[in-house]
Amino acid sequence: MRLTRRTVLVFGGGAIATLATASQALARQVEVIEMRGSPRGEQIWFSPHGLAVTAGTVVRFVNRDPGNSHTATAYHPDFFGRERRIPAAATPWGSGFLLPDESYEVTLDAPGVYDFYCIPHEMAAMVGRIVVGRPSDAGWEGPSSDASDIEPEALAALPSVSSILVRHRVE
Amino acid sequence: MKSLISLTAIVLAMATSTALAHDEDALETAPPGAPYVQVSDVLPLPEFLPGLGTLFVDAETLPTGPFLAYDHDGRLSATVYMTPLQALEDGTAFDNLDVGSHTVTSVDIYYNAGHPGVAEPHAHVVLYHDVDAKGRLAQ
Repeated sequence: MRLTRRTVLVFGGGAIATLATASQALARQVEVIEMRGSPRGEQIWFSPHGLAVTAGTVVRFVNRDPGNSHTATAYHPDFFGRERRIPAAATPWGSGFLLPDESYEVTLDAPGVYDFYCIPHEMAAMVGRIVVGRPSDAGWEGPSSDASDIEPEALAALPSVSSILVRHRVE
Repeated sequence: MKSLISLTAIVLAMATSTALAHDEDALETAPPGAPYVQVSDVLPLPEFLPGLGTLFVDAETLPTGPFLAYDHDGRLSATVYMTPLQALEDGTAFDNLDVGSHTVTSVDIYYNAGHPGVAEPHAHVVLYHDVDAKGRLAQ
């Protein structure tokens, strides 16, 4: 097969693009949040349920509960009309139901506070909070002060922003 | 005479209904057939739930059940009921529930925080139908 200059340029361009994409993926930090549960389902939780990351971090949710399915769903009107509890500049996400060992990834770019929950377990206060960046970052949006659309138990289970920023991971 | 015939028909119908509800042979091996459906076919849950096995339920009886619990070989091993705590607190009683088998060797009752199908906190009431059933349903 004879390669023309054009072919080389196309192939070369594709390879460079692929390498660039791979490089970006490699450069992105990945943090894992596990969905866990006790053997008989008495308790279920995100581990950690408080996490501090830098902007652009990929957060991977993994279901490590062999006897249950879970979701990681952002509080946002796009999902069941819930009040927004993620930055306005952020893209809302919903993992859908994850069976054991299934996972879902989301890249968090907008700085601020993201609250999320597990659809079948919100009543059991299976909620979590991710803090992206620092309050001094441009465009940073703090935690929602609206408590009208969240159960008191779930609200109480969310770690404070300050504790997340100090500890980075709150179990 | 007409009323006697009607009464007889009603009694016969009730007897037939009762026999069907407790037709142990029909429920002994999976799948138990209509009206039971496999829980993992209609809800986002694993096919085999550690501790409960493969569950079948008549949707008309949700959320309480009975859920028929089968082991890996399709043998009926337990009958499970799921009773929401709030409903109990509110005074709801769950009476005259069917059982998958009339042989019960032990019963476990424990709290569950919720799962697809029964999202609210509830109690699992598990009637094991033989002494080895719990072990077979464990994993």
